Amino acid sequence: MWDILTQLGAGFLACLHPVTLLMLVAGIVVGLLVGVLPGLTLVMGVVLFLPFTYKMEVTNAIVLLSAMYVSGTYGGAFTSILFRIPGEPIHVPLLWDGYAMARKGEPARALGWTLVAAFGGGMLSAVAMVLLTKPVASFALQFSSPEYFAILLFGLMSVIALGKGSLANALISLCLGLLIASVGTDATYGAYRFTFDQPILADGIEFLVVMVGAYGVGEVLSRLEYGFTSKPLDKVANTSTQLPSLGEMYRLKGMFLRSTLLGHVIGIIPGAGATIASFVCYGVESQFGRRRREMGSGVPEGIVAPQSAATASVGGGLIPLLALGIPGSGATAVILGAFMLHGIQPGPQIMVSSSAMVYTIFASIFIGIAVMCVLGYFAIRPLVAILDFPEAIVSAFVMLFCFVGALAIRSNTVDLWLMLGFGVLGYLFERLKFPIAPLVLGVILGPLAEESFMNAMISFSNDWTVFFTRPISGTIMALALLTMALPLVGMLRQRRAEASGALKPAAH
Amino acid sequence: MAGESAGRVNGFGARIVPAIPYFLLLAFTIWLWGIAGRIDYQERPGTLGPDFWPRVAIGLMGLLCLIRIATVLATGGAAARGIGAAITGDDEEEDETGPRRPILLGLGIALTLAYGLVLNTVGFPLATALFLIGFMYLGGSRHHLAIWVSSLVGVALVTVLLTKVVYVSLPRGAPPFDRVIDLISGF
Repeated sequence: MWDILTQLGAGFLACLHPVTLLMLVAGIVVGLLVGVLPGLTLVMGVVLFLPFTYKMEVTNAIVLLSAMYVSGTYGGAFTSILFRIPGEPIHVPLLWDGYAMARKGEPARALGWTLVAAFGGGMLSAVAMVLLTKPVASFALQFSSPEYFAILLFGLMSVIALGKGSLANALISLCLGLLIASVGTDATYGAYRFTFDQPILADGIEFLVVMVGAYGVGEVLSRLEYGFTSKPLDKVANTSTQLPSLGEMYRLKGMFLRSTLLGHVIGIIPGAGATIASFVCYGVESQFGRRRREMGSGVPEGIVAPQSAATASVGGGLIPLLALGIPGSGATAVILGAFMLHGIQPGPQIMVSSSAMVYTIFASIFIGIAVMCVLGYFAIRPLVAILDFPEAIVSAFVMLFCFVGALAIRSNTVDLWLMLGFGVLGYLFERLKFPIAPLVLGVILGPLAEESFMNAMISFSNDWTVFFTRPISGTIMALALLTMALPLVGMLRQRRAEASGALKPAAH
Repeated sequence: MAGESAGRVNGFGARIVPAIPYFLLLAFTIWLWGIAGRIDYQERPGTLGPDFWPRVAIGLMGLLCLIRIATVLATGGAAARGIGAAITGDDEEEDETGPRRPILLGLGIALTLAYGLVLNTVGFPLATALFLIGFMYLGGSRHHLAIWVSSLVGVALVTVLLTKVVYVSLPRGAPPFDRVIDLISGF
């Protein structure tokens, strides 16, 4: 414990370095802006800033991106409460009680509850993150290639099972991602795979090209098809934040702790992330909360539960990323990409080999949450006013960042063409209801999954049962299979319910 | 009777349309399977080849396409969905905020492709500024001053940032356009 506190203290000192602090504040501001602007998603924002971190020192790069990740879970709350426009899907639950409270003439109070929830949830979750990452990493040190493969498979399966669309489409998207990742020179044999005699393809397809294209260009094209229609806004001149009293906060302590804990745990699960945390915690309060009958009418519980859970999910999401090298969401996948671009592979070894960097990142989360809340309190008017910016201009600059992202990798226009191709693919995915997250995770985790699978096969003489017979990998594989079974069980139950519903009128 | 038959044909025809992407994907997987079979390597006894992993992905993708084709044709598209939809109660059509404008989309894609085509000739700053201005007008903005100022200043700032701070090599373009990037970087 003393060791952790000492290293965290050193991390706080490292965060006070002018460049690191600048990156931290820049990340918080950009994350808040990304959260406010409906045309930009949190993941897209983090992806678009990744190219600018190429030449940065790795700690500063991760501090910048994780600061964006933290504040992106808060920025969208302003527009949800004030204008009924959720900047992010995370903030849809805030439409129900946050906007209702604003309609009752108390928008400042609603914003105050949001700020308190984001601050408290984020800070508590950050403490849990600091305490849990090292034990998880130490436990993972005993893993061998079968366990790694099982964990990667579990991560990919949960992303698919926890998705919103068709399970088959998500699996197809994942397979496509794995295939894209297999383009280039094979690590075991040095054989060229799917290179089509193009020298640049021998080095493989950079995951950044896929991410920037599918998330950035694909999203812009999808919105262009509808003509960038944005809702007109009311005046923001009187917008302010009014913090609740200590007595009011004390009355909600049980609910706040419950939502924070649940948000943190949901953040740890690969594929769940802030949106699901926010919805689940709102749902829990609606079902079991003390004021469940008043939910939706503008009560603080309906604001605190989703917001504290959303911000708490960040600390949870960083644990598997740092300790196991498994990103649980789109944003953490990009942060993993930033690590890899700088030649660092997060995982159990990182707490041994780069502990100073990890504790600086931890400290930056604490400082970042504090800075985010200060900015949210004092700078809400300019932040919200940015919504008046025409979406066509914002989208054009998103495209500019996409071009820069593609050109910055290898200074080769072939990457630009590949990125545009993935942009069209991203648009088609959006149009045909194929999720993009499994594609991107497949591209990022594909090489790791293949490597651990091939190593396991070489080490255990092609005995595939090794994944099921070793205690840890067997348990994780069983969990992965159970996770995949969840949507199928859901579908069967729904069909049974529909069948019984159809029978009732017939019997009548 | 004839109407019933026509209805059946229409029903089946309506089901074919959503199955088309899966037919195309299936054809793509068959083609990829063939390519994977032609990967050139020296076999090592007792070790899986470099084609194994991609073939697993291709095989699974093909199988899923067949399953989707069968379910779409048989039931009209009912499929197991991730549990995220049940949690967030998402309506898939929720984001659609108006009528689709395919011509606008086509022009946007054409403009983007044109950018890729002229980039190496006119260089990054000029091509990007022209793209931004064109894209903003295409997107419906008519704030002329904001469009021109934000495009020109934005491109200049990004060019300086990339060439002088992040040290990224940008396409310079052919003469005389290559002088633009020198002018901006020099400034």
